[in-house]
Amino acid sequence: MKKRILSAIMIGAMCTGLLSGCGGGKAASTGDSSAGNNTAAADENTLTVWCWDPAFNINAMKEAEKVYQADHPDFKLNIVETPWADIQTKLSTAGAAGDLSTLPDIFLMQDNAFAKNQISFPDAFTNLTETKAFDFTQFAPGKLAYSTINNINYGVPFDNGTVIAAYRTDILEQAGYKIDDLTDIDWDKYIEIGKDVLAKTGKPLLSCQANEADIIMIMLQSTGASLFDAEGNPNIIGNETLKKALETYKELKESGVMVLVNDWDQYITTMNAETVAGTINGCWIMGSIRAAKDQSGKWAITNLPKLAGIGEQSNYSNNGGSSWAVSGASKKKDLAVDFLAKTFAGSTKLYDSILPSGALATWLPAGNTEAYSEKVEFFGGQEVYKLLTDFASKTPKNNTGVYYYEARDAVAVAATNIIAGADVDSELKTVQDTVNFAMSK
Amino acid sequence: MIKLRTALKYIFLIIVSLISVFPLYWMAVSATHTSIEVIRGALLPGNYLFKNFANLLAASDVSGAMTNSFKYSIVMTVLALFICSLAGYGFEIYHDKAKDAIMSVLLLAMMVPFVAIMIPLFQTFSKWGLLNTTLGFLLPTISTPFLIMLFRQSARSFPHDILEAARLDGLNEFHIFLRIFIPTMKSTYASAAIITFMGAWNSYLWPKVIMTEKTSITMPMLVANLKEGYVTDYGILMLAVLLCSIPTVIIFFLLQKQFAEGITGAVK
Repeated sequence: MKKRILSAIMIGAMCTGLLSGCGGGKAASTGDSSAGNNTAAADENTLTVWCWDPAFNINAMKEAEKVYQADHPDFKLNIVETPWADIQTKLSTAGAAGDLSTLPDIFLMQDNAFAKNQISFPDAFTNLTETKAFDFTQFAPGKLAYSTINNINYGVPFDNGTVIAAYRTDILEQAGYKIDDLTDIDWDKYIEIGKDVLAKTGKPLLSCQANEADIIMIMLQSTGASLFDAEGNPNIIGNETLKKALETYKELKESGVMVLVNDWDQYITTMNAETVAGTINGCWIMGSIRAAKDQSGKWAITNLPKLAGIGEQSNYSNNGGSSWAVSGASKKKDLAVDFLAKTFAGSTKLYDSILPSGALATWLPAGNTEAYSEKVEFFGGQEVYKLLTDFASKTPKNNTGVYYYEARDAVAVAATNIIAGADVDSELKTVQDTVNFAMSK
Repeated sequence: MIKLRTALKYIFLIIVSLISVFPLYWMAVSATHTSIEVIRGALLPGNYLFKNFANLLAASDVSGAMTNSFKYSIVMTVLALFICSLAGYGFEIYHDKAKDAIMSVLLLAMMVPFVAIMIPLFQTFSKWGLLNTTLGFLLPTISTPFLIMLFRQSARSFPHDILEAARLDGLNEFHIFLRIFIPTMKSTYASAAIITFMGAWNSYLWPKVIMTEKTSITMPMLVANLKEGYVTDYGILMLAVLLCSIPTVIIFFLLQKQFAEGITGAVK
């Protein structure tokens, strides 16, 4: 009998332990609660913020805190360093579980994921249009569109993902070209010059990650086209712009003007180790380019080639970038809104102070200050910041929608297949099918 | 001829070992270089280790993350070992059909991926007020079907004669477990300890979801933070990875002998 009782206790102990994992027993009360229970600091003047880059957006938040403290001495920020992928996981988990109390007062959101998250978890976002605290006309329209859903603003645009084409002027010179020869050109001209540079110096003009669709999406947005129509339906089969972009991509690869690498680290290596003569990406790539200090003065920046004969045919596009969102569950919404309105949407001083970290304003009044006219030695004395603010104001809008990432990934797969010899039209059909499948259509 | 074959074997093994060890070597060497030197493929030790260390300490709360990681991993290992060994012992020694059925259900639970139960788990923990608590961190993995199975398998080789002898000598059931089973099963405990400690040390997804305070950061979270920015400092990143690997390496080497025995199921 004794044996049986003991056996029952032992199995019971095990079950308590196990069930606690599946949501059963509160009985197991070991451990402590040292971390406390609330995420937002209890203090009424403190806002909790999630963002991810100490040198960049965390630094910007710290500077914004200082700016706001000038008028509100008791104000404080509790900045929790949280990688973007983790913000997405936490938001998805909290949103799906229906408990948004773990969210901070303000969080940073990648622009490409903004619409997806707002539509999936509407309660997690505060309607900023309604607050009337912001003048959204002062932001670059192409940038603002990412966080505007059904004509309502849910985000305060932050960093600029304006696309730049950066070139090694010394390598171009060896091949007999100047930066002006690569300004305001189209992709055909780019490939023509690229072939010449390759023949004379042995260096391709461009490197890209093989499994990513960045460059194709950059081309697409430069024409004002998207993978979705205004209603959010896939617009892939018969999308002439996408077809042309994919064909250009193939030509870039086949001509040797573009070299494909396997991952992000290798991509950075091609620039830092001088195996390519340039790159095309969001302007935030300047930080990685500048890491190679011995290349100072050898780089210059201009706009990207346009996709000739299609759409808006602009030399401007966007890749990446992020916007601030105020949590719908925040208990200090008014403070959070006022803070953002007086800093990221209202302080040229803030933007001047974060400029050295490479955080370029999409708030247009910031671009008129003296700091933006600074000549940057690394880029041969160009007025880089002014140039970028100008590029940003000319960038066409991009329609992302809920299934943007799924579509983008499908395009990346198609691009790989097309390079391997697949037919463009049949690949477009596959992309459309993949997106339809993801959308359960 | 035999000498030649042995030599060939050794050459082959040396090459394979070098390939296995190279990533670790590269990690250690990279921690001593600037980011740009790492990018450009430095293969010999550099002299930037202390500067990287200073930069890492300035950028991140390394001591806090180390303390948290140790705290969570040690508590987790001790509790998991006790609970799972007790369960495994119970399943095998007091063996009957009903318990076999429960064991099968447990084994089925091994097939359910963690992400599938994460959202209901989060919901439950949020209702119980366990978000941002050590208990919330530990509970889901404190008892795992795998560990219970491991202990059950090794309890199978535990001689029943000893059990009977102990009972005749007047030891009660719990004392038999404590004084006879645990000391006999040292090697199984060692391998279970290594597996649990490594799992707890490296766990990322659940802690990340449930712990939102910056004071509760662990080493894997710290490493992930370093990789996130637009510009990555590879020297600092490699140093952080190195620091993060050291405790598990030490524990593995300390318990290596018992680990091998535990895996092969030896009982002395």
